[in-house]
Amino acid sequence: MSQRKFRLKGWSKYVVLMAALIIAIAPVYWMLTISLKTEVDQFAVPPRWIGFAPTFAHYYDAFFARSFGRYLVTSLTVATLSTICAVTLGTLAAYGLARFKLRAGLDRRLSMWILSTRMFPPIVTAVPLFLMMRDLRLLNTITALVIVYTALNLPFVVWMMRGFFRELPKELEEAAMVDGDSRLGALRRVILPLVTPGLAATAVFCLIVSWNEFLLGLVLTQTDASMTLPVGIAGRVTQYEIKWGVMSAAGVVAMIPILVFAMAVQKYLVRGLSLGAVKG
Amino acid sequence: MPYLLIAPTIAVLVALSIYPLFYAIKVSFQTGTGDAVRWSLANFARLASDGFFRSALAHTFIYAAVALTFEFLLGLGLAVLLDRPLRGRTLFRSALLIPMMLPPVVVGVVWRLMLNADFGAVNGTLKGTGVNTEALTWTASPLLAFASVIAVDIWQWTPFMFLVLLAGLQAIPQEPYEAALIDGSSAWQTFRHVTLPLLKPAILIALLLRTMDLLRVFDQIFILTEGGPGFSTETVSLYIYRTAFRFADFGYAAAMSFVLLLLTNIVSVGYIRMLQKQEAA
Repeated sequence: MSQRKFRLKGWSKYVVLMAALIIAIAPVYWMLTISLKTEVDQFAVPPRWIGFAPTFAHYYDAFFARSFGRYLVTSLTVATLSTICAVTLGTLAAYGLARFKLRAGLDRRLSMWILSTRMFPPIVTAVPLFLMMRDLRLLNTITALVIVYTALNLPFVVWMMRGFFRELPKELEEAAMVDGDSRLGALRRVILPLVTPGLAATAVFCLIVSWNEFLLGLVLTQTDASMTLPVGIAGRVTQYEIKWGVMSAAGVVAMIPILVFAMAVQKYLVRGLSLGAVKG
Repeated sequence: MPYLLIAPTIAVLVALSIYPLFYAIKVSFQTGTGDAVRWSLANFARLASDGFFRSALAHTFIYAAVALTFEFLLGLGLAVLLDRPLRGRTLFRSALLIPMMLPPVVVGVVWRLMLNADFGAVNGTLKGTGVNTEALTWTASPLLAFASVIAVDIWQWTPFMFLVLLAGLQAIPQEPYEAALIDGSSAWQTFRHVTLPLLKPAILIALLLRTMDLLRVFDQIFILTEGGPGFSTETVSLYIYRTAFRFADFGYAAAMSFVLLLLTNIVSVGYIRMLQKQEAA
């Protein structure tokens, strides 16, 4: 009896999990099929979940005939440059904050202050940032986006890398410095190789944030030459008649790098999402 | 030496986080543009009498409360299911994470395709099973639109709760469970008196982070409904955006954004306190 009850429980567990799985995946799969369907198949009733002749016409249309290819290049450029800036500056600061005791607990207070700047809702800084960039004549430039996304990711980099540095014993650098290395030499030759996995995960998180960011991009860029992929997609969705195939093709392309990145940092996902508060 | 390492970061954050904040304070005391700028408290006085702002606040709170409740309960349920070793666990875990990682704009596109009243997959599938979908216009009718944007939030962010709570569950050591087993406590008693108290830090972190994000929600709603139909799904962030970038009323937008900042601040202070406690531990 008890064994049968147990088996039933195990079986119903899978039913619930399968249901959750389908709910999580089906909408995304649906967008993928729309991007591959001819218009006749897109509007078929009942909907064709499987069994249609795939076409890549919408991808060609979106990325070659329309401007989505351009937005894609902008997105890649902005995400890469802002990640490099944020990781470089943030790692140096994190090392300083993790390894030096400053006067009056300033190291701890600075860390908290840096973290608190990450808590501002984006719309709060969007209004003044727009006005500042307008005054600096940087609206509709990739420069503006790189600067803003660097600042957006900096607190995160500092906080994550500070955590990784603190997990390493101080004696490592001290030994290297006794052997004649300078402080920066010890950081480069001894410490950085040890935190490389954490550094890579942090960089991937920055790429994800910059790639997904929408509101600030929307506010700062309005021209074809400067807008990122999310801003470009949003403009087409909300302003013109919806071309379902083109939208879906753009959506699929915007989604793929993110899924690859997410799988790459799975091990650090919880730590990154909770800013180190929960170590997964 | 340490100051040299930290200085560039501090400089960037002062220029792009702190300075804009003061800039916004300045703008919030201004009405009019160009040479006609006047300084007054008019923007803040307007807050008190603006019915639209009040309803945007109400939408934001209802949205946050409903979404948070569902995301927490569903996320906790899934985390408990996947806490024990189970065939296919890695697959389930990875697949459940997909909605959370998607760019919010893509989530908007996905659900526009799903919820379209005539050709969407939801109504299409329902029609296929013989349901009359005439009344199910989703994003086109006020009440349904509000329910829809909340449902989409739950779809996207339940995985976050699940992930953080699962990590919390797996960090709980075996001994308390063994003790409970010896004491002969039932599954529910064990969950209530052993699991939940030990999971509390992870629960708090997850709730605080989600609340902060829910109070500032913008992206998916902007794509799905643009705050409409009418004003029915307009949240504070959307209303601020519209005020600043459609009506170019930067002063009033800045004044409203301080109310939002104040609200999220209450939550973020709690969150930072928790992190500080962990640092000390």
